[in-house]
Amino acid sequence: MKRTTSQNIALYAGVVAVCAFLLFPIYWLVVTALATSAELSQLPPTFWPESPQWETFTKVWAERPIPLWLLNSTLAALGSVALSMFVSVLAGYSLSRFSVRGGHSLGLFILTAKMLPATLLVIPLFSIFRSVGLIGSLWSLVIAHSTLIIPFTTWMMKGYFDTIPRELEQAAMVDGCSPLSAMVRVILPIATPGLAATALYAFVLSWADYAYARTFLTNEQGSWTANLGITTMKGEYVTDWNEIAAAAVFIAVPIIVIYLFLERYLVGGLTAGAEK
Amino acid sequence: MRRGKLIDLARPSRQHWLGYILLAPAVILVAAIIVYPLIISIDLSFQDVKLPRMGAPRKPFTLENYQKLFSSPEFWQTCWVTLKLVVVVTIACLAVGLGTALLVNNRFRGRRLARLAVALPWAVPEVIATVIFAWIFDSSFGLMGWIFIKLGLANQMVAWFSDTTAAFWVVATTMVWKGYPFVSIMTLAGLQSIPEDFYNAAKVDGANAFQRLRWITIPSLMPVLGVTMVLVTLWVFRDFSIIKVLTDGGPLKATQTLSIMTYNEAFGFFKFGYASAVGVITLLLCVVASMAMLGRGSKAMY
Amino acid sequence: MASISIQNVHKSYGALNVLKEFSLEIEDGEFVVLVGPSGCGKSTMLKILAGLEPASGGRILIGGRDVTDLAPGDRDIAMVFQNYALYPHLTVRDNIGFGLKMRGVPAAEIRRRVDEAARILAVEHLLDRRPKQLSGGQRQRVALGRAIVREPQAFLMDEPLSNLDAKLRVHMRAEISALHKRIGVTTIYVTHDQIEAMTMADRVVIMKDGVIQQIADPDTLFQKPKNLFVASFIGSPGMNFLAAAPANGAAIRLFGKEVPVNVNADRLMQAHSNGGIVAGIRPEYISTDGGGTEFIVRPSLIESLGSEKYVYFDAGEHTFSGLNDEEARKGLIARLAHSSPLAEGQELKLSFDPARLHLFEGKSGEALN
Repeated sequence: MKRTTSQNIALYAGVVAVCAFLLFPIYWLVVTALATSAELSQLPPTFWPESPQWETFTKVWAERPIPLWLLNSTLAALGSVALSMFVSVLAGYSLSRFSVRGGHSLGLFILTAKMLPATLLVIPLFSIFRSVGLIGSLWSLVIAHSTLIIPFTTWMMKGYFDTIPRELEQAAMVDGCSPLSAMVRVILPIATPGLAATALYAFVLSWADYAYARTFLTNEQGSWTANLGITTMKGEYVTDWNEIAAAAVFIAVPIIVIYLFLERYLVGGLTAGAEK
Repeated sequence: MRRGKLIDLARPSRQHWLGYILLAPAVILVAAIIVYPLIISIDLSFQDVKLPRMGAPRKPFTLENYQKLFSSPEFWQTCWVTLKLVVVVTIACLAVGLGTALLVNNRFRGRRLARLAVALPWAVPEVIATVIFAWIFDSSFGLMGWIFIKLGLANQMVAWFSDTTAAFWVVATTMVWKGYPFVSIMTLAGLQSIPEDFYNAAKVDGANAFQRLRWITIPSLMPVLGVTMVLVTLWVFRDFSIIKVLTDGGPLKATQTLSIMTYNEAFGFFKFGYASAVGVITLLLCVVASMAMLGRGSKAMY
Repeated sequence: MASISIQNVHKSYGALNVLKEFSLEIEDGEFVVLVGPSGCGKSTMLKILAGLEPASGGRILIGGRDVTDLAPGDRDIAMVFQNYALYPHLTVRDNIGFGLKMRGVPAAEIRRRVDEAARILAVEHLLDRRPKQLSGGQRQRVALGRAIVREPQAFLMDEPLSNLDAKLRVHMRAEISALHKRIGVTTIYVTHDQIEAMTMADRVVIMKDGVIQQIADPDTLFQKPKNLFVASFIGSPGMNFLAAAPANGAAIRLFGKEVPVNVNADRLMQAHSNGGIVAGIRPEYISTDGGGTEFIVRPSLIESLGSEKYVYFDAGEHTFSGLNDEEARKGLIARLAHSSPLAEGQELKLSFDPARLHLFEGKSGEALN
């Protein structure tokens, strides 16, 4: 149906207004990072910095342990993604293809585990990690983040495997594969896009964690993750908002880049994970 | 022939063995890192423990934590705050998210870019979002205070985080900004699954744009919206980072939800037994709330 | 190439019995079709034969070797699936050669045999493409290529033509038949389409609810169906059924006449008390030529197919509703070559030869003659 010109103008105006409104906080973050300290301590606020202070970024990168924080976040994410994906690819495949006794109940339990509050689980995990000496180590995050990730990824992978016809394995088995080699040689290569999307989603989940990092790593500065590190910058006597904003940009950028490049996959994974 | 015949999983009578083998790592891991800790925390909630030591002898069984909890005004205030926050944030997220999705679902140039943009806050880590809003609502030079003065809503800069009502709305605003893109993403996916023929049929029947929205779009979206509502509710219910960083439950516990209370009792006051009791109640409420919302036919969520 | 012996194979999921005792001896080089409506157990039988599902009991021998619990890959069989099941991440060449590669055949040998298979099926120019880039018919050929390249003892085909459009289906049907004649591999073919069964098979196995109804060559099936189900399943349009009453002696009463039949009176009386006598006559054996048993009808609908006409009329007092409602509602059909003008609602004299009548017992459905 054709729209009239006035309808078109209204539509574009609406879209621009909504986008501007919703994206304003992100714009404000960047402006803050680029403003001078003087501009940030005056009213009215600065909407467009006179001379953008790009040095703030280099200064923060050099003076604060931001590279270390980013590295720690990445390591924790890679570790928990690897552990969770290993477990949930296998389990998702089993749930999709085999009617294993008790499999359905396990699947439902894993699904309900999504409802577990992290603030409840963090208590026993803290006790356990304290007794085995994992407090302060990134390994504590690898395990703790897996409790967040597995409920999502298992069902995302099951949903993805469900879309691949069973006849492919059957053909492979007639062609001489064992059930395991049919999975490895035929199904996993076909499932690569689904695997990638699921792994990325898991990465984002791990990267976003604050509760576990704060609980297990606060006393061990060398293990601080990005999210934990930046909150310590806020707590100081004088908050340098431009520095905090610059640090925030560094931390948000990796995830935003992942999102922009792989939005289609991520969104597919998110909705699949929610509906499945 | 080719294969070692000792354990030939390809035999018809054994093909299903692989199902068990593949499930085993998940069973073991879930048992070790979810079920076992969960049992410990339930166990802790029935003991009078401050900072437990694994391997230490178990304290005697007691209902004291729960008795103390239910007779504490703080707990009931926390429940009330949690309920208020859940209702306000969920409704606002659904309204903003649905509206945005319907808007960018129209055909126009740059539609793809717009869809990417409206979902962007979803990708911003919660802690970062919180930092941004903490600055926007800064009591000395924050943008929002200045806007309130300009609009004549305030005479001077507002101390957002010292006022119980103001702090609540700051927390709610931050959560809505972080939470609405999820609703948009889900709604857009739901909109795509509505067959074009429905709209064509409605146009043939002479339905106008509003009638099509009311009688086709919204009913078709209901299943998706229902699931989304539950997920948003659960998220608000259990969220930790935003409130912890923004207000830490203050002022005067006006923004303290059950999650924050659980955490602070454990790691602020080192009352692990009491904290576990709060956490167990939180979990029970989550389960009850989601079951109530989804009804017995909760398969939609799966 | 080999003979196949299926002995008392059955399959149940808990209390659900999807395949009752199934026994069948298949000769070397034979083309056997399993046919029946969906859920009749034909695909289950094929999967058991392929080793993709375990049987609950019974034995299977291929070429004299017991393969009952042998891995699918060790049975030396090839299978063609309804959705072709081509590996989407491999090229056509690798798809066809996958089975050989899994068996450790040297690369040069694989290359030679894939080329040969591709030549036989005329897909040589497609070898470097991926399945996604192929049309339905091309995919079907590649799937066949994947089967023949292995030179197996037997081909198993699971509704291989049902994803093709009508025209291509007829064409591929002929091609599969020709391929079978050419390489002569024992073939077991599953379909729900009785025309495929009738045109391709040396022998047809008709199944319903997990039970074999009849095993016979196509002509026998058509002329001597063992029961009501087989009679109704084979032929298009299907056989007409009429509820009939016994008359005096070896005769039944139809359209107010006594029609002599080759079944003795006692048997008729027995059938009459066991759900009634059902008479069946195929539409093509009803004519306007006169002679035999004559009766007058008023056609409710006349469909012209150009070369012939389908005349629909009501069965009246003889309406038989034993099969299903739809069957009863459509009434009776006569298939007439006659091109003289016929009109709906106008009286028409039809006749049939009593020798063409099939008689069944109503309750058991068993054929009486």
